[in-house]
Amino acid sequence: MSLGDILDESDAREVKRRARGAGPSREDRLRRLLRPEPVFWGLFSAGGFVAAFLVPIHVAILGIALAAGWLPSRALSYERVQHLVHLPLVKLYLWGLIALPLYHWAHRFRFAIYHQFGILRWKRFIAVACYGTSIAGTAISAWVLLRI
Amino acid sequence: MSKREGARYPAYVPEYPRSWWLQTGPYRRFAAREITSMFVAAFSGLLLLFLFAVSRGREAYEGFLRWLKLPAVVAVFAVILVAVLYHMATWFRLTAHIQVVRLGRKVVPKSVVIAGLFGTWVLASVIVAYFHIWF
Repeated sequence: MSLGDILDESDAREVKRRARGAGPSREDRLRRLLRPEPVFWGLFSAGGFVAAFLVPIHVAILGIALAAGWLPSRALSYERVQHLVHLPLVKLYLWGLIALPLYHWAHRFRFAIYHQFGILRWKRFIAVACYGTSIAGTAISAWVLLRI
Repeated sequence: MSKREGARYPAYVPEYPRSWWLQTGPYRRFAAREITSMFVAAFSGLLLLFLFAVSRGREAYEGFLRWLKLPAVVAVFAVILVAVLYHMATWFRLTAHIQVVRLGRKVVPKSVVIAGLFGTWVLASVIVAYFHIWF
């Protein structure tokens, strides 16, 4: 079962009729078990939380304060950053800071394509591309943080 | 109206012009909010580049810091900051509308909920800045 199969029903407008007689097929049971919406919604809202409470200050520090020279020179020195990124708690924090907003983006962008731009073709491709990007970002950030 | 395969009844699929989100102020603000989520993801990408630079040693890292100081890059970050702040402010506003907070029998006014969220944000930012810069 591919990611596309799992995502297909996640924006369904109607509930499908169950087949009479025989119970749900193995495929159906697996699909129900892997229902993606609660998981992706959880990640989406966690990403929204991170994006609102944590991302602005990081953007301000890395993007503006550094270039403006408002930071003490020690703050982003190689030694200090090396020390920080080796702390397990900082690794976990950075992983969440990078990965969770990606799920926030994936959900919003997926439905912006459907609803705003009215593109209803290639639904499966768009869903897989959006969530696939976030899953890839999650994996790459985990890999970098573990390898550092 | 269209009938999906295997459905007992036709599903109503509303039709609207592609530019519906440009029509009124609230629609435009909603669309702007959706679009600003892209800048949130852009920052995730930039943070990933930062980590790549850290993992590739001192020279790569210091090169990356020089890149961060280029005026064009600072301009990009400024746009990201504005977008992220818009995303944050609208999220606080919509949270206050969705989540009714009760204290005993009284409903906490929306403005107080929004102020509380902003206060939490300031506190979180101060804590992050402290650990990021001075700790």
